[in-house]
Amino acid sequence: MVLIHTLCSLLSYVAFLVAFIIGLLFLMQERQLKRKTMGALFHRLPSLDLLDRINFLAISAGFGLLSIGLGCGLVGSRVILGRWWVADPKEVAALGLWACYLLLWIVRLRSTLRGHRVALLSVLGFTLVLFTFLGASWLLPTSHPYQSTLRRVSVS
Amino acid sequence: MHIVLVGMNYRSAPVEIRERLAFRREQLADALATLRGRVGLHEAAILSTCNRIEIYAGVPTLDGTIDRLQQFLSAHSHLALDGLVPQLYCYTEPHSIRHLFSVTSGLDSMVLGEAEILYQVKHAYQWAKEHGATGKALNTLFQRALNTAKAVRSQTAIGHGATSVGSVAVELAEKIFGRLSQASVLLIGAGTLGELTLTRLVDRGVTRLHIMNRSPDRAAGLAAGYGATPQPFNELAASLQQVDIIITSTNAPSAIIARAEVAAAMRLRHQHPLCLIDLGVPRNIDPAVSRLENVYLFNIDDLQGLVAHSHEQRQQALGQSQAIIEEKVDRFLDWWREELSPCDPSSLGPVAAP
Repeated sequence: MVLIHTLCSLLSYVAFLVAFIIGLLFLMQERQLKRKTMGALFHRLPSLDLLDRINFLAISAGFGLLSIGLGCGLVGSRVILGRWWVADPKEVAALGLWACYLLLWIVRLRSTLRGHRVALLSVLGFTLVLFTFLGASWLLPTSHPYQSTLRRVSVS
Repeated sequence: MHIVLVGMNYRSAPVEIRERLAFRREQLADALATLRGRVGLHEAAILSTCNRIEIYAGVPTLDGTIDRLQQFLSAHSHLALDGLVPQLYCYTEPHSIRHLFSVTSGLDSMVLGEAEILYQVKHAYQWAKEHGATGKALNTLFQRALNTAKAVRSQTAIGHGATSVGSVAVELAEKIFGRLSQASVLLIGAGTLGELTLTRLVDRGVTRLHIMNRSPDRAAGLAAGYGATPQPFNELAASLQQVDIIITSTNAPSAIIARAEVAAAMRLRHQHPLCLIDLGVPRNIDPAVSRLENVYLFNIDDLQGLVAHSHEQRQQALGQSQAIIEEKVDRFLDWWREELSPCDPSSLGPVAAP
C-alpha cells in the first residue's frame, strides 16, 4: 500500500513535470506567433494544438495518479498509524495540490479555459508540486521523509 | 569520359526562348535517342523545367560535342543557331558538376532554396535511366547530386521558412492547428492575395471552405470555383464562432471585424483558437483583436515581414551550402579521376560562358 502510494505520487509529479515543460513550450511558441518573431526554435516546435492536447493528457494522467497516490496514503495511514488523517504538513500540501489540479483538469475538460491560460497554470502549478515534493519534506517538520517511508516499507 | 553541360536558364534567356527549347515528356524518348545517335553522346540526360533546360552529356572526347549539341538544340527549338548560342551556357567538368550540384540544391533557383527542383532533377535522371541513356558517369553524377542536395537541405537553413505571403499564412496556420485537413476556412472579399492564400490552404488539404462577399453573385462565383459554400455577409457573427481560419481581403474603408465581436465569439467557441489573416489595406480587422487570448492575427505587413525574414535566412545559408557543394564536388572529382578521367585534370576549364 505504502509502495503504491509512493510510486503513484512520484509518477504524478513526473506527469506534472511533463505538463510544465509542454506548457512552457506552448507559451514560447505562442509568444513567437503573437509577436511575429519566428526564432530558431519556431521550426522545431510542434503545433499549439498538439502541445495543448499533450498538456491536457499530462494533467489528466498526473491528476489520476495523484488521486490514487493520495487514496493509498490515506488507507496506509489508517492501517499503520490507526488514523485516516494526521494533518501532516505534507498531507495538507498534497491535498491542496490535488484540489488545484482537480480545478485545472475540470476547467480544461469543460473548455472554460484552453490554450494560453491552461499552459500558464500548468507552469505555475508545478511550483506547487515542487513545494509539496521538496518544501514540505525539507522546510517543514514532517512524518513523510523518504528514510522513514523506506523504514515503514521494510516494517510492513 | 568528359561530363558536358549545355543549357539555358531564367538568367541567360527570356521565357519566349525557353518555352521553345523546352522538352515535353513525350518528346524525351526521341530526343535522348537522337542525342546518343546523331549527336554522338555516350550518355545523356535532359533536365527541362519552366526555369531551365539543360542537357548533361557523357562523351569520351570533346571534339565538336558542344557544337553538335548547340545544333541539336537549334533544330529542336527551330531557332537560328546565331540567335540561340549567346543564350546558352556550356560547361565541362568540374564546372558542369558544380553546376548540377548547385541546381539540385536549389542554389540556382529563382526562389533560393526551393525544393521542387530536387524532384525535377530526380525525374529527369529517372527518365533518362529508363530510356537507357545513362551509364556509369551520369548515374554516379546524378546520384551524388541528389545526395548533395539532401545534405545541403538538412544541414543548412537554405530551405527554411516560407517564401510567399500565401505559404507563410499556411505555415502560421499549421503552427496553430497542426494538420489543416480538419480546419474550416472563411474567405471574406475577393482580393487576389486572398484567393492565392486560399489556394495554398486547399493545397494543404483544407476542404471545409466558406466564401463571403458583399455581392452574393461574386461569392457564389468564387465558391463554385473552389467547391466552397457561399455565405451571406450578415452571417459574419455566426461564422466567427464556427470557422478556424478567416482570411479577409476586401477594400472596405474601415475594419469589418471589431474586437467586441471576436471577444464574444471566443466565449461561445470555448476559447478554441482562431487564426485571422488580414490581407486588406486599409486593414479589415481591428488590430486590438490580437490582444485577445487564443486569437492569432496577422496583417499583410506581418506576412511580408516573415517572407523577407525567410529570404534573409536562406541568403545567410548560401555560404554554408556552397561549402558543402564544394566538398561534394571535390569528392566526385576524386572518383571521376580514378575511374573515368580522360586526361590531365589541370587542363580542364569552362569551354564557353554566356
